[in-house]
Amino acid sequence: MTKLPAIIRHEFKLMTANKTFVILTALGPFLILAITVLPGLLSMNPKALSGGEPIAVSGGGPGMTAAIEAASAFQGRAVEAVGTDAGSIADAKRLVQSGRYAALVSLADGWEDSGGSLYTKTGTDAMLYAAVERVVDESARQARIRRSGVDPAVARELTRRVDLSIVKLGTGNTEKAGGESDFVQTLFTAMSFVMLVYMTTLLYGQMIGRSVVTEKTSKTVEIMLSSVSPRELMFGKILGLGLAGLLQYGIWVSLALALSKLVAPLIGIAAPPVIEPANLAWLVTFFVLAYFLYASLYAALGAAAEDEQHLGQLAWPVLAFLIVPLVMISSFVSNPGSSLSVVLSIFPMTSPIVMLIRVLIAPPPAWQIALCLGILIASVYAAATAAARIFRVGILMGGKRATFGEMLKWLRVR
Amino acid sequence: MLNVDGVVKTYETVRAVDGLSFEARPGEIFGLIGPNGAGKSTTIRMIMNVIVPDAGTIRFDGKAFSESMKARIGYLPEERGLNKKVKVLETLVYLGVLKGLDSKDAKARAEAWLERFGLAEWKAEKIEALSKGMAQKVQFIGSVVHDPDLVLFDEPFSGLDPVSQDILLDAVLELKRRGKTVLISTHVMEHDERLCDRILLVRGGKELVSGSLPDLKARYGENSAQIEFDGDASFVSTLPCVESVRAMPRWIEATLGEGRDSGELLAAVAGRLRVRRFQMMEPSLHAIFVKLVEAAGEAEDD
Repeated sequence: MTKLPAIIRHEFKLMTANKTFVILTALGPFLILAITVLPGLLSMNPKALSGGEPIAVSGGGPGMTAAIEAASAFQGRAVEAVGTDAGSIADAKRLVQSGRYAALVSLADGWEDSGGSLYTKTGTDAMLYAAVERVVDESARQARIRRSGVDPAVARELTRRVDLSIVKLGTGNTEKAGGESDFVQTLFTAMSFVMLVYMTTLLYGQMIGRSVVTEKTSKTVEIMLSSVSPRELMFGKILGLGLAGLLQYGIWVSLALALSKLVAPLIGIAAPPVIEPANLAWLVTFFVLAYFLYASLYAALGAAAEDEQHLGQLAWPVLAFLIVPLVMISSFVSNPGSSLSVVLSIFPMTSPIVMLIRVLIAPPPAWQIALCLGILIASVYAAATAAARIFRVGILMGGKRATFGEMLKWLRVR
Repeated sequence: MLNVDGVVKTYETVRAVDGLSFEARPGEIFGLIGPNGAGKSTTIRMIMNVIVPDAGTIRFDGKAFSESMKARIGYLPEERGLNKKVKVLETLVYLGVLKGLDSKDAKARAEAWLERFGLAEWKAEKIEALSKGMAQKVQFIGSVVHDPDLVLFDEPFSGLDPVSQDILLDAVLELKRRGKTVLISTHVMEHDERLCDRILLVRGGKELVSGSLPDLKARYGENSAQIEFDGDASFVSTLPCVESVRAMPRWIEATLGEGRDSGELLAAVAGRLRVRRFQMMEPSLHAIFVKLVEAAGEAEDD
């Protein structure tokens, strides 16, 4: 295997000079910026997210304007009172249409009993709706209590709300009381990590497959095989591209650490708690293992395929295993300890993504992580061995659309 | 150097190579000749161990193929396929390194070859910037940059202009002078006539005839007339003394029938054409090939 380093170097060079690689590496930091600094920045300046147009309020009695303003403060909105006559309401509706107002809250007489309406252009701002509805509902209740003559103090005590706070239990019985926003940030960052592993694994896997099938159809492979063994060629490609991937992750991880540890404190915002060296190490570990597993499979499929289109068809079942955990991601996030999560975090084709979610959200038992890693490493070895055999036969099989049955037969060729 | 013995390769139902045997020696140019689809490329791929024969053996200096031998063999496949996105010199250095050269040595040799082929100023260009002929020359260099003992050229001259053909021809002859074993496959017989010491004519995966060119020609005797003329020579093929013709607008090669005399032909053409040259000679390789193929075809028809 003396020529292997030469092939690795060549493939690494080809890959890092590739436009897609450069663009992805350059765009990565923006994604990292988004997951490290942006959540904090947004919570400091909510107008950036909502646009900050005021809400018009018609009717509802004294105090309603102030109550709604307080409730929608998270979006940084002001509230303007408008008249209850038909003309004022029609004007306000026009201004909602034109975008001057974010919404019009219309509470006509008798709203305490029959409720009112929220006019918006989109009808999709669920957070605004929830906030306003809570205020209107609460005010209506208070108004009805006043009307019934019950002692306001008693009424207040009876209708008082209580909060449910989120406390995250860490290893060693540490308790971390985080606000809701902390939880959302963790979720947001974990999802970004998972997306990163999914995207890069898919991208690099497909690049290997395409590179193999292109060399096969252009007959470059004949020249290569007159100098090196099929095994050297395949592993040279996989390792060369893998090194390029590692370089990319190295750049991203350093940037993420620099941003969260140096830049974020400097401008006075808190980086998401998930961004810490241990979690970044998990990110890289699972990317590497996922990459080697899927790269081996794609190399074998590329060698068996007749052209790129055929490769696309052959790769579907493989792709499905990458997509399934992504589709079910919310289930893993809300129930990281469910038996489905546990099984899929140990099954090698899905484990890199599912186990990564679990590690980030709620550390699973050590034995499960060990089992996951053990099975995954064994699978990488098995996949690489099988791929090398399929590759050896398939790469020179011209003008034939191989089936999975034939590939299984190739596994048994000497 | 190279010994091929009874190799057979069957694809699905087609027997591409059917029991070919030959030997190529050091300092010799061996021609594998036949029409398209005769099994030449398949044979060369088997020698290169790119595909495995169903039967028969291939030996190098008496030994079976092993990975380490790849460093001593150079291979120019029929289909050109260099990575288009890589620069010329980089491609050649990479190919050289894969054959076991260190990169400095590979670079020096590649540059010398590029100079010789008039491609020195293209070395920093990507392969995709080259013309087809230039790319082919680069690939030729790639097959000899590591100074192999055995080179396999599959249709090396196809698609090259006459000047490039001559440069390549010189390079091939030099390899022969330096004691290398050269195996060339082609269907352009003129090249073999000028180049090859010995040949093997193949058709349908089987040997038609083999041997040294002079022996082969002597076997058919001086029964071929080459005539240069002005006029319409279409009648020649209908003459009773003529067995077969190969006609060009102002040149014709007529093979005489068994026991026929050249005087008979000369008399027949002298009256109807303005003959500028009339020469009895050994048949060209082309004529021999056509004759053999026709004979084989008749045998199949019977």
